[in-house]
Amino acid sequence: MKSRKKVLTSILATTLSLSVLAACGNNNNNNASPSASDSPSSGSPAASSAAPEAAKDTITALLPPISPKYQESIAQIEKDFNALYPNLTLKIEPAGWEDMTQKLDTQVNAGSPPDIAFIGSSSIPKYLEQGMLMDITDSVTPEMIADYNPAVTLDYMKSGAGLYGFPAYMVVHSIGGNKQYLEEAGVDWKKVQQEGWTYEQFREAIKSGAAGGKHYGFVFATAGVAARDYLTILAKNAGMADPFTKDLKFAYTSKNYLEVLKAVRQMIDDGSMPKELSSVDAGKRWNMFLTGQTMITGKGLATFENSAKANNAKLEANDGSAVKDSIKVDYIVLPVPTFAGAQPVSTTVIDGYVTFRGKKEPTAEHKANVAKAAYYLASGKVAAVTNNDLFASHITESAKAAAASLTIERSAENLAAVERMLTFATPPRPDIPAELSAKAIKLEDEVIIPKMQALLANEITPEKMYDEVMKAAVKEFGADGVVQD
Amino acid sequence: MAQPATKTYKKRMIKDGDWAWAYAFIAVALVVYALFTAYPVVSAFLISFQEYKPLGSTYIGLDNYAETLRDDLFWKSIRNTIKYTVLTVPVNLLISFVIAILILPLRKRLQTTFKAVYYLPAVASGVTMSVVWLWIYDPLPEGILNQLIGFFGIHNQNWLGTSDTSMFSLVLMSWLSSHGTSIIIYLAALLGIDDSYYEAAELDGANFLQKLRYIVLPFLKPTTLFLLVTGVIGSFQVFQNAFLMTGGGPDNATTMVGLLIFNNAFKYFEFGEAAAQSLILTVIIATIALIQFKAFGKDVEY
Repeated sequence: MKSRKKVLTSILATTLSLSVLAACGNNNNNNASPSASDSPSSGSPAASSAAPEAAKDTITALLPPISPKYQESIAQIEKDFNALYPNLTLKIEPAGWEDMTQKLDTQVNAGSPPDIAFIGSSSIPKYLEQGMLMDITDSVTPEMIADYNPAVTLDYMKSGAGLYGFPAYMVVHSIGGNKQYLEEAGVDWKKVQQEGWTYEQFREAIKSGAAGGKHYGFVFATAGVAARDYLTILAKNAGMADPFTKDLKFAYTSKNYLEVLKAVRQMIDDGSMPKELSSVDAGKRWNMFLTGQTMITGKGLATFENSAKANNAKLEANDGSAVKDSIKVDYIVLPVPTFAGAQPVSTTVIDGYVTFRGKKEPTAEHKANVAKAAYYLASGKVAAVTNNDLFASHITESAKAAAASLTIERSAENLAAVERMLTFATPPRPDIPAELSAKAIKLEDEVIIPKMQALLANEITPEKMYDEVMKAAVKEFGADGVVQD
Repeated sequence: MAQPATKTYKKRMIKDGDWAWAYAFIAVALVVYALFTAYPVVSAFLISFQEYKPLGSTYIGLDNYAETLRDDLFWKSIRNTIKYTVLTVPVNLLISFVIAILILPLRKRLQTTFKAVYYLPAVASGVTMSVVWLWIYDPLPEGILNQLIGFFGIHNQNWLGTSDTSMFSLVLMSWLSSHGTSIIIYLAALLGIDDSYYEAAELDGANFLQKLRYIVLPFLKPTTLFLLVTGVIGSFQVFQNAFLMTGGGPDNATTMVGLLIFNNAFKYFEFGEAAAQSLILTVIIATIALIQFKAFGKDVEY
């Protein structure tokens, strides 16, 4: 009896030990090769169905809830893809927006990322620097390339000569106003939408907006890393469209950068923006907008029109789920003002399906299959539904065609304002080396954002911050590697 | 003569042939320890000499250590961590001790209730707690803490947004939460003091403070040392509060060394530098613990 107990206990102990070992085992076979035979795939990658002898393969994708209805359609997306390519299985792992980056980073650093992940094109240098992106230049078909309109949107997914995925949509990050407050402050918002405005005009407008003391003129989310958004959006309209100039010099050492920093302080010192701005996060500023505490908010997305409308409907219906203390607001899309006579440049965000590789070299067949899956997700019906939900601009002909039958209720003025801003969208910069971009991101995180927080809290002057940025940039890129005007 | 006696004792404890079984039984703990403690430490040590890349790392000698020691932000984070530790650990010990003393005279049922109440925050998710504190620290006049100070005629403060108040806000958060474990440990130690000591002191006419000074404090010295050492270690490893509440800002005023290591590893993918910083932190913590044992542990027996 005693002996039996010992045997049983030792079996349990061994099982537990082996389970631990098995759980830590390397399960990195998704990227490496197709799961079945090595027979070559046949036909065009964009063909509507694969030949029966095509090798079976599984493509994994890590996707956040891109639009409000995206997660619930995942099963259908997988099913439709399998119907289109019977030999291929698309396995989508859903992730929350909060843990998407962390999940992906962990998988990347373990050397076993998913084949596809939905991220912003600005993150490409970070993963490319790790050597974990998969160049699909040789795997895409002319039909896939031709589907992109404007064609330049595909360049956002490029770095050097490599193509690392397919963009899904393009959205403009701008600012947004409360129609009633704008009119009360005497702002001709239609003219601003059509012609833009300078910082001086904007400053006067938000001063007028805040004049009564009932609400602020302008509130932009700046808490934590959102400080980067604020500075970037302003800097783009001060002649610094990218962190690097065409001749690859670090741009944020330009005198115009100092002008932007001065403006940041001026707007707070004028009383047009709250002195607690450094603690206002994205949720707080949207709450302040809906509760009538500010005339203009930032950053603004076209889809905010939809959110404001939804809240208005709840208020009209006396629905208790309306934002507490909110008022009826008509959301007006507004362009960001320009500084120091610079030309306007819209902050455009290109998000899409970026392709990754594992530790093992992927086979040509697997690469082609991943390209098919990424293109499938970024175009046609999937993109049409998602982009419409987000009020985002379609960038493929197939998505535009699929969206033709979908109705969308949107302000004509706002739509026109967005279309205008897209005409001066930030151009793609595949010429910036990944290593340089990674250095700039670290400099922004370690110097610019902390100093910006101090500037917003009135702990340092704009001149002091400018000097600190200059010092750090010269240390990182050398005196010849930065703009010195 | 002593050696054969020990052997006989061991033989009595574990008979011949039982050794294999003993190893089988401890295998689970050993495998878990080897995989999740020993292996990561050895791996971190090796990575600290490399420029880590998932597809193949490069040996770079002591560069990561040199870079860390040259990095102003690293030293700032060490200063922040020391400031946080000095402000939180002694005060937290005092608060726990006072609460334990207050709970001690209560009836057993009431004691248990209070222990449960004070332990509750330890059970709650740190993220949830942080959300509540973010709400308390709302910088606008309608924020809870701002309304409270408003009663005293003080203007609203940007608690987490300025260098002057952000560290204090994290310290206050520590003062007002998570004393449960320390209270329970102190209570257990207090209940372990024999009543005869108090009775003898009362016969001698000792008052409450004298009993505290000459009976309670000496008896609680080992407990206090244990809580002090573990408190300092925990404080040096603090990460969650700064990560969730301030992100290390403003202007790195609340960047603790744990947060810096996290950022280097998981934000910038500089695992080599992060590993080097972790090992330097280990040495700092070990040195401080050693000093604490040397200074306060002379007459402490376990």
